[in-house]
Amino acid sequence: METGEDDLCQNNWGSASILDYEMAMEDEEEGEPNLHVFKASSSGKDNNNNNNGGQASVQGVKAQAWDPRTMLCNLSFMEQKIHELQGLVHLILGRNGQLQDEQQQLITADLTSIIIQLISTAGSLLPSVNMLSTTAPGSALFPFPREANNLASQTLNNGGASQELEDDAEEGENLPPGSYEIKQLEKEEILAPHTNFCTICGKGFKRDANLRMHMRGHGDQYKTPAALAKPPTKETLPGSDAPMLIKRYSCPFPGCKRNKDHKRFQPLKTILCVKNHYKRTHCDKSFTCSRCHTKKFSVIADLKTHEKHCGQNKWLCSCGTTFSRKDKLFGHIALFQGHTPAIPLEDTKPSAAASSQRGSSGCGNSNNNAAMVSFSLGSAANANQETSQPCVMDGKTSFEESFSPLSFDICNFGGFPRSIFDDSFQMLISSACGCSPINGGVGSVSDTSL
Amino acid sequence: MSHSILSALSEDLLVRVYGFLDPPCRKTWRLVSREFHRVDSLSRTSIRILRVEFLPALLFKHPNLSSLDLSVCPKLDDDVVLRIALDGAVSTSRLKSLNLSRATAVRARGLETLARLCRALERVDVSHCWAFGDREAAALSVAAGLRELKMDKCLSLSDVGLARIVVGCSKLNKISLKWCMEISDLGIDLLCKKCKDLKSLDVSYLKITNESVRSIALLPKLEVLEMVSCPLIDDAGLQYLENGSPSLKEIDVTRCDRVSSSSLISIVKGHPDLQHLKASHCISEISLSFLHNIKALKHLKTLWIDGARVSDSSLLTLSGSCRALTELGVSRCVGVTDIGMMGLARNCSNLKALNLACCGFVTDAAISAVAQSCLNLESLQLESCHLITEKGLQSLGCYSKRLQELDLTDCDGVNDRGLEYISKCSNLLRLKLGLCANISDKGIFHIGSKCSKLLELDLYRCAGFGDDGLAAISRGCKSLNRLILSYCGELTDTGAEKIRQLEHLTHLELRGIKNITGTGLAAIARGCKKLAYLDLKQCENIDDSGFWALAYFSRNLRQINLCNCSVSDTALCMLMSNLSRVQDVDLVHLNRVTVEGFEFALRACCNRLKKLKLLAPLRFLLSSELLEVLHARGCRIRWD
Repeated sequence: METGEDDLCQNNWGSASILDYEMAMEDEEEGEPNLHVFKASSSGKDNNNNNNGGQASVQGVKAQAWDPRTMLCNLSFMEQKIHELQGLVHLILGRNGQLQDEQQQLITADLTSIIIQLISTAGSLLPSVNMLSTTAPGSALFPFPREANNLASQTLNNGGASQELEDDAEEGENLPPGSYEIKQLEKEEILAPHTNFCTICGKGFKRDANLRMHMRGHGDQYKTPAALAKPPTKETLPGSDAPMLIKRYSCPFPGCKRNKDHKRFQPLKTILCVKNHYKRTHCDKSFTCSRCHTKKFSVIADLKTHEKHCGQNKWLCSCGTTFSRKDKLFGHIALFQGHTPAIPLEDTKPSAAASSQRGSSGCGNSNNNAAMVSFSLGSAANANQETSQPCVMDGKTSFEESFSPLSFDICNFGGFPRSIFDDSFQMLISSACGCSPINGGVGSVSDTSL
Repeated sequence: MSHSILSALSEDLLVRVYGFLDPPCRKTWRLVSREFHRVDSLSRTSIRILRVEFLPALLFKHPNLSSLDLSVCPKLDDDVVLRIALDGAVSTSRLKSLNLSRATAVRARGLETLARLCRALERVDVSHCWAFGDREAAALSVAAGLRELKMDKCLSLSDVGLARIVVGCSKLNKISLKWCMEISDLGIDLLCKKCKDLKSLDVSYLKITNESVRSIALLPKLEVLEMVSCPLIDDAGLQYLENGSPSLKEIDVTRCDRVSSSSLISIVKGHPDLQHLKASHCISEISLSFLHNIKALKHLKTLWIDGARVSDSSLLTLSGSCRALTELGVSRCVGVTDIGMMGLARNCSNLKALNLACCGFVTDAAISAVAQSCLNLESLQLESCHLITEKGLQSLGCYSKRLQELDLTDCDGVNDRGLEYISKCSNLLRLKLGLCANISDKGIFHIGSKCSKLLELDLYRCAGFGDDGLAAISRGCKSLNRLILSYCGELTDTGAEKIRQLEHLTHLELRGIKNITGTGLAAIARGCKKLAYLDLKQCENIDDSGFWALAYFSRNLRQINLCNCSVSDTALCMLMSNLSRVQDVDLVHLNRVTVEGFEFALRACCNRLKKLKLLAPLRFLLSSELLEVLHARGCRIRWD
């Protein structure tokens, strides 16, 4: 059932009708929450409510949408759950100290599950008040593992609150302060993997539609067209024709530009924006690209987008950023002072190979600097001698030295006898003897330069 | 006695005296005494190195060098550079200008060493280094103080390399990217964004589009823009310049095929102070509106409109308003006649350079008028002006005393009498008489006896002149350094014997002279020690004795063309091994040379060759080892 793609889920996230919360099975391993802590949480929530009287008045409209029949239903559900809980606790008491680790874990998991169901249902008993208030229950009240906190805080904003999320007005970003309502989700809420939970088995879903499909398995009453239909949004509900205030979101991270306390606060448009912003900016980048093993992401959709193009980024900046397009790299370089394009490694290989090949063919030395220098010193000495004494006719030495850097002995020229050279040399000596001697190093420096 | 006079001069005075000397005199100065030599060593600021072996010693001897030219230095490679770097005695910290043109074996490692070594480096020339690529550019970008950079024909340079330089050397104010074919709009755009001080930019022959011009127009200090033959730039692009680059002084849009006069008008409108407008072969006609706008340019000095249709009236209007004009190019212009030229001569008396090549209707009357009015004329190009006769040349001889350059190639009307008149232009430095069939020894004799300052003489296919004329030239024009005698069939060994008197000769073309034998070549080789370029193509009768002499005497030979010569295996090996500065060789159609001969000869010089032309079949016959070494040393082989 939970097959929706990540982005799709996120798109619909706002429209999720959060009726109930249960712990997702995969989350059960962690932690061992205490009941009284959750009680404390509800009291905290009450405080919260009182503190934000201003906001409560805004949501007066929504309070009317509260249905007493649902409440009754929820109460009986809670009763049943409390009984289950009692049974479990008795079980623990009866086998005190004799429990094996595995059993203990199972029981703990059960316990957690039931308690969370209880809390979530209890939360739904409240008249629907927007719990995404600016001072939502602080993490001080939930000094517990993440999922527990998530659930607790999510419990608080069920009901009508979620319906407003759909209302993502497409206005420009230059909203005057005060013309919109600021909401701030808590960290735990933002990081919650699921927002829709099955009231019966506790399985979590990202999309409410997936939850409704899942619910069909729990009985025929969930198969009616009414149950399967999309829950009415606020606009479609009767009596909700009061003008809506635009909602904008604040990042809970203090000091962030997206935090409402920032001097030049820029609100986020949707909950999806909040989630992605928070993960990208304030969370560890835990997803590493499986191809390049260097790029890291905190939003899995970003990773997937990257992996589609990973390896195609051949345009590299000196700062390490890669680009799939040359113009993007050049735009980046134009923007940042001191950044330069990096020369791709492929270029270095051939030239290095060429130089080593040159080194080895030249004198059989390995390609290290000292060797190269010493080699060329040697050849320069030869050349010096050669040019400063052009008339020295002591045959082979000067002649063969000039045949550098390839040594003749290495190569084998078929059918080209060396003696020809020697002969010609003799001939040359005789012909050159008639000529006037040449001055050494015929003007090494010309004066024509400016 | 003289010794005491010299010793009375203090070193300060010697340095001052030295400062007034011409470069050739300085050479003599060095030989006077130890003290004089020391003054020369200390005062010398620029040097051109011909042999890499002397580089460290020369750098050590001249500690105050600011300009170092290594463009003709064979065997210069990374190792040499590294050796200099390791040598602590060499001081390069004052070096501001470095010429590495054609130093193809200097790669990234050497360039980086040089850039770090010469901390004050401001000007670098790496043109024609075809191996200069992005890594080399990255190495060069270490020189952050660079102001001028010439990278013509760095074929491997791409936008990435340019970006490295642009980011590293942001103080650049002059850059030339001519023929860097990999450079695109992105590179130019980045250049214009990062180097805001750019004053001179050359993007000729690049495949850049209008987008680049848009970026260029944003350069606030640009004065000179050269964009010769940019085939993708059209009027829409040039229009960006109308309101951009406010200090533009010079623009060259020669051979930009898609540019028309309308965009030139917009540039002219936006820049009333424009001084140089070069638009050869891109506008087809001088329209009235173009003329009207050009008239507004009161400071216009240079105007090139070669290839356009120009009427007499438009030339008159033009010259009437642009009286500051010093250089006019109207070669291949249809419609240029005597009337227009006479009007121009009347109005633009400051004219220094005039290009009338292929203006077939121009006659002696026009030349006379120009000679009489434009007394400052220095350069006159009259190639293929068939109506010009001795009369026109007579006026030139009488009035144009400052004439330095005269091109009479393919002018049928030039005869011995004409040459006699021309010889009165005693300041003539360059004279081109190619394809003038009507001149003989008599005319050449006048040139030789009076034009003693001549540096360059072109006598290509002047069939009528022979050994006696050459003797006169050799006697009179002692400073000649460039002589073209190709296909002058009358010349023999006797003439060649005379050439040896030209001690300063560096460039000699003897193509297709069948009568020159080994004896003649030996004489030339013995006499012209500075010879750097020698063309012996189709000199079939030169035997090995000539080449042997060449191998032993012409130690400065840098470029040689031996196509169709009857050189033997051994002589070729001698040449290639002994000529230690040879860098560019044409070895096509050598019938007497075997494959082994080529292999041997090339192995002997493979560490200094930069350009080589061979017959294509040899590609498979020469050993791959040799070809690899040649390639690794930065040699480019053209397979014919």
